[in-house]
Amino acid sequence: MVQTEAFVMLSAVLFVLGMMGVLLRRNAILVFMSVELMLNAANLALVAFARQWNQLEGHLFVFFVMTVAAAEVAVGLALIVAIFRTKQSINIDELHQMEG
Amino acid sequence: MTEVILFIAVGVIAIAAAVLMLLSENAVHSALFLIVNFACVAFFYLMLNAPFLAMIQIAVYAGAIMVLFLFVIMLLGAEKLGESTRQFRWLAPLALALSAAFLLIVGVAIVQGQIDLRGPVTREPLLRVVHAVEDAGPVDVYANGERVAANVSFGDASAFEPVLPGEYTISLTQPGTETVIANSAATVLASSEGDSATAFTAIASGDAGAPVINVIPNNIESVEARSARVTVYNAYNGLDAVNLVDFASPNDLNDDRVVISDLPAGETVVLPLLPEDTSVNGWAFVDAANAENVLFRMDNPEVYSIARDTSQLLILGGEQVISGADTLVRPVVIPLVTKAVSSFGGPQSIGQLLFTRYMLPFQLIALLLLAAMIGAIVLTHKESAVPRRRDVRRVVSKPLAAAIGAQTGTDVLAATPVEDTPQLPENQPAGD
Repeated sequence: MVQTEAFVMLSAVLFVLGMMGVLLRRNAILVFMSVELMLNAANLALVAFARQWNQLEGHLFVFFVMTVAAAEVAVGLALIVAIFRTKQSINIDELHQMEG
Repeated sequence: MTEVILFIAVGVIAIAAAVLMLLSENAVHSALFLIVNFACVAFFYLMLNAPFLAMIQIAVYAGAIMVLFLFVIMLLGAEKLGESTRQFRWLAPLALALSAAFLLIVGVAIVQGQIDLRGPVTREPLLRVVHAVEDAGPVDVYANGERVAANVSFGDASAFEPVLPGEYTISLTQPGTETVIANSAATVLASSEGDSATAFTAIASGDAGAPVINVIPNNIESVEARSARVTVYNAYNGLDAVNLVDFASPNDLNDDRVVISDLPAGETVVLPLLPEDTSVNGWAFVDAANAENVLFRMDNPEVYSIARDTSQLLILGGEQVISGADTLVRPVVIPLVTKAVSSFGGPQSIGQLLFTRYMLPFQLIALLLLAAMIGAIVLTHKESAVPRRRDVRRVVSKPLAAAIGAQTGTDVLAATPVEDTPQLPENQPAGD
């Protein structure tokens, strides 16, 4: 049986990769996909611990996270489409109309 | 060993896909690399005993969310959008440095955190006791001195109790007193690795003079859909061996089928999975030596039936019957039906948890999804771009207008009303 530490380490690596994507990429859709990567990394850690402690609540929480991620993607992409209609650009450096 | 190799291989693929997703210039390529990453994560879920989540991951993440991403990328033509230079030049090195530091700290915490000291928790073995001793009244059941069940009468079984793994001596006593009726040999009840639930049934049989307690492992794990697992135990000491015969129809002797042959006393046989509602009406236990000697017919459909998703234990025992001045021992079959335990991580066990204890979060998230759907519709709604009739001016070609004006003597263009509502005939040109 593969150790739980290995899975949590892999989850941490994926999370950091997603984090770098959020910080470094300028395309809004790429940022969004990096956020999905981070959520997946968290899900992987949850399932690893659920197996470790033989509790199904970990799986249930992953179920809820997936559902919320799906809802978030729907609304976020709708936002991006709406922004693109007005500004013709989804470069996040140019989306700063809400600045003070 | 193969597990470790698989883990390393799929892990490398997952990390490589994530890195390529970040570095790719084309947004469509990034989305496809992310799908590869999600598929690797689904494989990890399978390795972690989460088959339901693996399928949901493929269906929801790779199948719905990434498809939505690809739709939007194609809609916006985002794959053609290049990356402009960043506002702050120092952002990239700083982000890399911070990410590396974060990873280092988390790595140290994981390795030093001693997560696995407790080891994987396995399910405790379950134990129940069946009272099939011929002439004893209700008994109390003790396992290693601790009472497991009280007042178990003949033909009944105590409920499955989880016990710590170890060596146990099961004993039956008279209820309320310390008099021990029967003792079993010390048996080791071991828990099992992983998720399977091991169950043991201790069957007390024989007669009050020489009782015997036999502990058999009982498989109560989930069965295939709509079938049942039947285990047969012979606790009848009157004969050497018995057969279990299926007399399909009572008159025709040719369709008799021997289901189990030569089952000695004290032995167990597990039958292959039976689909639900298999008729056991014609089943009977007969003497192995003498096929005419029918011990017991299971022709009461209310007592003996095969239900779906159950694990059944049939015990052929002897019941003491007092008729007149004699005490006879009459063979009887005791059915013990338990619902098969659903496997860890499978849809049944997730459903059992989700729709009972976690119903409220489930409904709240459903509401959230509805709200998200409405939000997405509202955000992407466009006002329809139909041009209004008020803005359309009647266009008249100038040369034609000039020719008509020369013929009629008036300036047609100036006299033509601009609004499309008909004017009152005040300034009508001469000649229509």
